[in-house]
Amino acid sequence: MLGELLKGLGTTLRYMFRQPVTVQYPEVKRPVRERFRGRHELKRFADGKERCIGCSLCAAACPADAILVVPAENDPANPKSHGERYAATYEINMLRCIFCGYCEDACPTNAIVLEHQYELSFYDRRSSIYTKEMLLVPEDQGHGDPPPILQQLSRRPSPPAQIDL
Amino acid sequence: MPDVTVTIDGVTIQVPSGTNVVDAARMAGVAVPVFCYHPRMQPVGMCRMCLVQIGTPRLDPATRQPVLDDAGRPVIQMMPKLQTGCTTPVSEGMVVNTVADEVKFAQRGVLEFLLTSHPLDCPVCDKGGECPLQNLTMQWGPGMSRFDYNDKVHFEKPVPLGDLIYLDRERCILCSRCVRFQDELADDPVLGFDNRGRNWMIISKSDPPFDSKFSGNTTDICPVGALTSSDFRFRARVWELDSRPVVCTLCPVGCNLSLDMRYNQLMRVMPRENGAVNDIWICDKGRYGHRFVDHESRLTTPMLRRDGQLVPASWDEALALVAEKLAAVRQAHGGSAIAGLAAPRLSNEDLYAFQKLFREVLESNNLDQRIGAPGEPALDDLGALLGPGTGSDLAQLGAGTTVLVLGADPEEEAPLYVLRLRAMARRGARLLVANLRPTKLDRSASTRLRYRAGAELAFLRGLLRALSDEVGTDRLTVKSSGLDQLRRALFATSLDDTAAACGVSAADLKAAAATIASAEHLLIFYGAEARSAGPAVVETLGALLALAGKAGQSNSGLIALLPGGNSRGALDMGVRPDARPGYAPLAQPTIGARDLWNAVQGGRVRAVWVAGLDPAASLPAARAALDAAEFVVVQDLFLTETARLADVVLPAASVAERDGTYTNAERRVQRSRQARPPIGESRPDWQIVQGVAQRLVQAWVATGAPAVPAKGPKDGKGARGARGGVEVGAVAVAENGGWDYLTAADVAAEIAERVPGYAGVTYPALAATGKPGSWGRQVNEAIYYDGTNYENTEGVGIKLPSLIESGRASLNLAPLPVPATADDRPLLLIAQPLAYDGDPLLRGSRLEAHVPEPYVALSRADAERQNIRPGDIVRLASSAGELALPARVVDDLPQGVALVPANLAGVGLATVQTGPRTRVSLVKVVV
Repeated sequence: MLGELLKGLGTTLRYMFRQPVTVQYPEVKRPVRERFRGRHELKRFADGKERCIGCSLCAAACPADAILVVPAENDPANPKSHGERYAATYEINMLRCIFCGYCEDACPTNAIVLEHQYELSFYDRRSSIYTKEMLLVPEDQGHGDPPPILQQLSRRPSPPAQIDL
Repeated sequence: MPDVTVTIDGVTIQVPSGTNVVDAARMAGVAVPVFCYHPRMQPVGMCRMCLVQIGTPRLDPATRQPVLDDAGRPVIQMMPKLQTGCTTPVSEGMVVNTVADEVKFAQRGVLEFLLTSHPLDCPVCDKGGECPLQNLTMQWGPGMSRFDYNDKVHFEKPVPLGDLIYLDRERCILCSRCVRFQDELADDPVLGFDNRGRNWMIISKSDPPFDSKFSGNTTDICPVGALTSSDFRFRARVWELDSRPVVCTLCPVGCNLSLDMRYNQLMRVMPRENGAVNDIWICDKGRYGHRFVDHESRLTTPMLRRDGQLVPASWDEALALVAEKLAAVRQAHGGSAIAGLAAPRLSNEDLYAFQKLFREVLESNNLDQRIGAPGEPALDDLGALLGPGTGSDLAQLGAGTTVLVLGADPEEEAPLYVLRLRAMARRGARLLVANLRPTKLDRSASTRLRYRAGAELAFLRGLLRALSDEVGTDRLTVKSSGLDQLRRALFATSLDDTAAACGVSAADLKAAAATIASAEHLLIFYGAEARSAGPAVVETLGALLALAGKAGQSNSGLIALLPGGNSRGALDMGVRPDARPGYAPLAQPTIGARDLWNAVQGGRVRAVWVAGLDPAASLPAARAALDAAEFVVVQDLFLTETARLADVVLPAASVAERDGTYTNAERRVQRSRQARPPIGESRPDWQIVQGVAQRLVQAWVATGAPAVPAKGPKDGKGARGARGGVEVGAVAVAENGGWDYLTAADVAAEIAERVPGYAGVTYPALAATGKPGSWGRQVNEAIYYDGTNYENTEGVGIKLPSLIESGRASLNLAPLPVPATADDRPLLLIAQPLAYDGDPLLRGSRLEAHVPEPYVALSRADAERQNIRPGDIVRLASSAGELALPARVVDDLPQGVALVPANLAGVGLATVQTGPRTRVSLVKVVV
């Protein structure tokens, strides 16, 4: 019996001097994989205009019905996106979202991208709804590059996105 | 037409001769893709999408007989090239191949070409999701294009064709459906092609641009997203929409609509196929004029007047107050001191409940559907007495039918009838258009008759005289009286004299009478201008129908174009001072709208309940009377001028927010469904009425005070016939006195039981009237029209029999006395109804911009005599008052007539009118 006890304590002792597998979250954050599907971001073109054209195809593709898009017509003097249409409202309910990435696939302009942010917790249901302001990247960031998955597949973006690339 | 046998992709079927290959293939269950072909229009073969291989039996040149092969089958000779299916009529023994490699190659080629300049901006296109070009490309297209994406021709993105329709020239495939619709069906040839080659484009040729009341239909039939509707622009994607079937209440046609809702918000209005009513079309008023349901000025809570201010209150408070006040008035002054006005756009259920409350609970017959303006003509009974008989279907009428349109401008009064009448004329019907001034319908008429202004009756007497010369009176088969007096009146003057009096030559009268006499079916449409000439005119129309032998027959009858979407229903339900439901006349005349305002001022009427009408806006007398009245209840959608004067304002649910049935001009009852929950706390009108009725009945049962008409419990409904038979079972008075409807269907069931003529018109029966037409969405999604969904799941509605047909009523032929007018002022003032007028229901819609500023239209001769130029202010003076308006000079208006748009906000026509027609003098105002 004593033998088993020592054997067990020995294992503990051995692991005390090994590099731990776990990290000290949240002080330490482990990098995620390139193709990790985290929180969505709405990207911009290099000229600062929104990529999203409010076509609602993401909402149509969404199997969890997590996305709400209310489109509107651009003010020609001060357009938010290229073309005539933009998303006046864009909301994703993160409690509903299953992070499947179908919205990303459906997006004709590569506007919505599932990024690497995974810290999504809320105190109430209402705050689980991410609005357009929360999802849209700042004007000087996050434009240009198609998401890595598309680069790997060497897929050409569909026409509306091509126009102004 | 004899049938011909054709074989399409191995399927042998018989189709009527004259059918084209596309239609024949559809009957055989074979899909031939099309873009430009539309079965309601002439084929043009522009898009080349329907190319198919066609072969016909080889004929022996000597005998003209088919050559047979060894097996005895005819030898088929294929045509050397592919043929367009839409322009090729079938012939006996024809063989069609739609799946040959050659055909598929051609289809792929056509689509590749159509897409060379198509921008492929489907994600931002309003048509995306219901676009034939998308669908046909997926099903028949090549999948890849050999053209460089960067070589696409780009145009400036949408250009407004009019303010209702936007054109995206990049997307247009130049199928000309819109051009042909405007030319062939709408008769507003305002669209055309411009330029050529890659700059070929659709343009509007009219000023103002795209000036048509049917322009919205072009967006439905556009097979791409080139034409889009300005009020649905980028509102939603079509797959997010939920279509709810409703009936349009903006005019008496009763078009079937789909309200396309997203999250209970109205996104757009689409037509719903009903071959008997609107086919697959609607007018722009129906399409764009429903924005009122979402308008921010809708009333959402009941309001009570406290310290002179209207303040929000609860339903309980409001209904209790109404019941208490009405009970007090009835107690003190009797039921006849209460009057009710209900709008003829409310549903049958509302109107029935309204009159039931008045007749049975308040014991008042002071009901009306008018506001008491001097310009309102008498209520129309003949449209029900001699309405089109059972089984009438305008879609079936063509050759052999004569249609007389008298004193009507259907384009303004009931726009969709223009399409119906034109379709009938195209199928071979004779269209006689008689009017004192030209209207757009003249262009479609086979005979135009222009009588002198004010000579309607002389014209009709002349026509009747010519008809009786032609056929005598033998054809008169219906129950009638007064034939001798009529004959005396007709033969008092010679036809030539009558012709001279009305300004239509005797030969024309005879020719028109011959057309009427020889008709298999006779339909007579009459509108506001005919009705304004007095009841004698309408009565003579009835005599004309009866003498032609068409009274009470199927597909023959009178159709009155009344104001209000459910005027016929309101008349049927007895919302009128002189009759109970089902046209049962009252023994004693009561106070109608015409006398109401004086009666209020005189203290004979103390309390007024106004449902959906706005008398105060246009009638100073009504405003003063409502101010003076002891108690005023208004239930409406908006805080109208009348509502501002009310003691209690009750918010009503709009047509989109409640179930109901509506009776159209032909007396077809159709069901409209609830499209979304009522806005705020608003309630359907019948519920509001029931709320008051229940409180009244309970109060009286409790106090035992004035006796409520004894009534059996629910199953005993109808024991008391609508005509007032007192056959009451020995049962205790039910707690709610017959006011225990839970749904609109319960009210409809009681209507079916108690209103003569409505027997059997229940919701289940309406739902069982079958799937109309064959349009819908096709099984294989791509035959004619795989885009817009016109599917109708609600049935075609129930056509009520005319009263004469049911044998309960008889026709009085004796000519009504015509009041002599002593007024010798030179001009005849006629109020002209406009489609886009001051109707509060147009608020919030893009049609508001189409409502004209007030004006008076004068003939060139009259204007020149007084040196009036367009825009000059003129003063109209009658024996009643004066009115100053800017003048318009209209070339084709007859001399002696002044036309003023009726029902425009802020005209004050009532100040000058002495009746439906007013003699006025004209003075130019020199500034």
